[in-house]
Amino acid sequence: MNDMTPIDRKMSTMQDTKISARKEQVYYGDNHAIKDVDVDIDDKTVTAFIGPSGCGKSTFLRCINRMNDTIDVARVVGDIRIDDEDIYDPKVDPVQLRAKVGMVFQKPNPFPKSIYDNVAYGPKIHGLARNKAELDEIVEKSLRKAALWEEAKDRLMSPGTGLSGGQQQRLCIARAIATAPEVLLMDEPCSALDPIATAQVEELIDELRQSFSVVIVTHSMQQAARVSQKTAFFHLGSLVEYDDTDKIFTNPQDPRTESYISGRIG
Amino acid sequence: MTDATSNAPAAAPAPAHHASLLTESPLMKKRNAAEARFKMYGVIAISIGLIFLIFLATSILRNGIPAFTQTVVKVDFTLTQDQFDEAESKMLKTAAYTSIFIENITAQFKERGLDVEFDGDTIERLMGKVGGDLRSFYREDTSRIGQSVTLELPAASRVERYLQGQLTREMVVDGRFLEVADLDVVDAMVDAGILGSAFDWNFITGTDTGVDNPGGAGIGASVIGSFFMMVVVLLLSLPIGVAASIYLEEFAPKNRFTDLIEVNISNLAAVPSIVFGILGLAVFIQFAHLPQSAPLVGGLVLTLMTLPTIVISTRASLKSVPPSIRDAALGVGASKMQSVFHHVLPLAMPGILTGTIIGLAQALGETAPLLLIGMVGYVAREYPDGLASGLLDPNSAMPAQIYTWAARSDEAFFEKAWGGIIILLMFLLTMNIIAIILRRRFERRW
Repeated sequence: MNDMTPIDRKMSTMQDTKISARKEQVYYGDNHAIKDVDVDIDDKTVTAFIGPSGCGKSTFLRCINRMNDTIDVARVVGDIRIDDEDIYDPKVDPVQLRAKVGMVFQKPNPFPKSIYDNVAYGPKIHGLARNKAELDEIVEKSLRKAALWEEAKDRLMSPGTGLSGGQQQRLCIARAIATAPEVLLMDEPCSALDPIATAQVEELIDELRQSFSVVIVTHSMQQAARVSQKTAFFHLGSLVEYDDTDKIFTNPQDPRTESYISGRIG
Repeated sequence: MTDATSNAPAAAPAPAHHASLLTESPLMKKRNAAEARFKMYGVIAISIGLIFLIFLATSILRNGIPAFTQTVVKVDFTLTQDQFDEAESKMLKTAAYTSIFIENITAQFKERGLDVEFDGDTIERLMGKVGGDLRSFYREDTSRIGQSVTLELPAASRVERYLQGQLTREMVVDGRFLEVADLDVVDAMVDAGILGSAFDWNFITGTDTGVDNPGGAGIGASVIGSFFMMVVVLLLSLPIGVAASIYLEEFAPKNRFTDLIEVNISNLAAVPSIVFGILGLAVFIQFAHLPQSAPLVGGLVLTLMTLPTIVISTRASLKSVPPSIRDAALGVGASKMQSVFHHVLPLAMPGILTGTIIGLAQALGETAPLLLIGMVGYVAREYPDGLASGLLDPNSAMPAQIYTWAARSDEAFFEKAWGGIIILLMFLLTMNIIAIILRRRFERRW
């Protein structure tokens, strides 16, 4: 009995934790950009990364889908596990990983193709649809989830670059969720959007939480407070504090967190 | 107090600040004058360029257009069956035809009260081998015998130049190409009204003739030679160049070795083309024993020359594709190669095509490397017969042909050279238009 309890507890946390990082380090050449980050990111939760510019939050985000691999000088050390599988294991194909871990970038970057092709591209290259009808269904489902279907259904074949900024960003979200990922990484998804488009995307993020584990990097503390359940505060490459969003904003434990959210640093 | 004292010096330049906007300050005068001067330099530079361009275009047209027309002797001619039988029974058959032709012309002269004596040699000097032409004309289709036909027989280019006043009686040296007495016949022909001018299709479709017959020389065979060279260049340099650029730009590790390759490619683009010519001579002809003067070898040499241009322009257009597109493709789980071939390459296509066509146009006009592999100076007397012969049989190329003509001593070829330049420029213009159309089409698709 006594032996059972710790195992039980461990099992329950395992289920909730989607991504766990231990002693994560990132070097850009000689620059030590990420230092000893330990974090457990929960499934079906929105986790916000906040911190001043250059604190490493985007760098850490890009470790989760190994986008840092594309930068020649970047070197990643440490251990990141998704569902308890080491994503930096030599057997892992980063391409496969990225289908599982979708990403939305700071600037809306739709392909200069039709709206339909933008969304259909991921499922096509991963062979998720066996025929045109299935592909159509995936495209519609993804656009609906991204709250773009109503606006785009009559112009699926017109170029995605012809949409407004907010629509483009929702198109990018639709594209990211079309490959049925388990984690959705968002790197300042609203920084190029106006307040109305921002509100739409934030609403969308809240809905996406039901199906994915969402990690969002943001400069706006208000946004972090609005959309996230957990918040991590990064400073100078280190994870300073990681807790429930309410706690971070109302009762921060670390003096650096407090000075950041009260506007004294950053 | 301290404030007041520190403010006092600052008060002095203050009036300048409050100067009226309507008065011109010296600084503003200077600035405006400098700007006006700069604009004027620009206008002068463009004007000089335009003047040269106009000068070039008019001189090319003025000198080249005559190459497309030719002076013809136009006569109504009837050959009876008796004349035909008689001529065919003779030993010197073509001479017999020539004398029948001379009789005809003399009759025409007589009609108009002209009395000029001339013989077969004169006719040959003025119009080439008329007898032979006539004989094959009638033997080809015997039903022509007994019928009245209008013959248009090309006159030698010297006749044309005499008519244009470029060749005077004083310039004629007896026994060399023309005699002074021949010109009397030409004058009589003019009086009889049997000299006319016609569009010279032979110049476009014909082959080169060698030094003795400038009038009959055509550029057709060298156009085919150039065509085969361009096919070789396109088929080799586009795939090799694009593949090399994609590898260097997207896949190759960035280290000292790839930097070295990069620098060398840029340098290769500036290497004089004659260097590629001698390289081609050494490698393709002396080492690989490919035939001399062959368009295949010309194409290979020009491929070497075009590759750096294509690599540089392809890399530039790959670089200009925004990195966000690559991120987007990788972000949805595309592999590196998928991201390049599905997204980056199509976006870079207009630039690649423009670079390729500019490279091809450069290769089309290149003469120096062809000098060394024997295409310049080769007299392309016949059309190639099929694909293999087009690639491997000796031929000339357009610029080489132009150079050959310009270097011949007979001034009549000079006009042909100008005409050849017009045709070359027309090909270049067409290629540029194709480049523009392709670029437009690809840009619209995205």
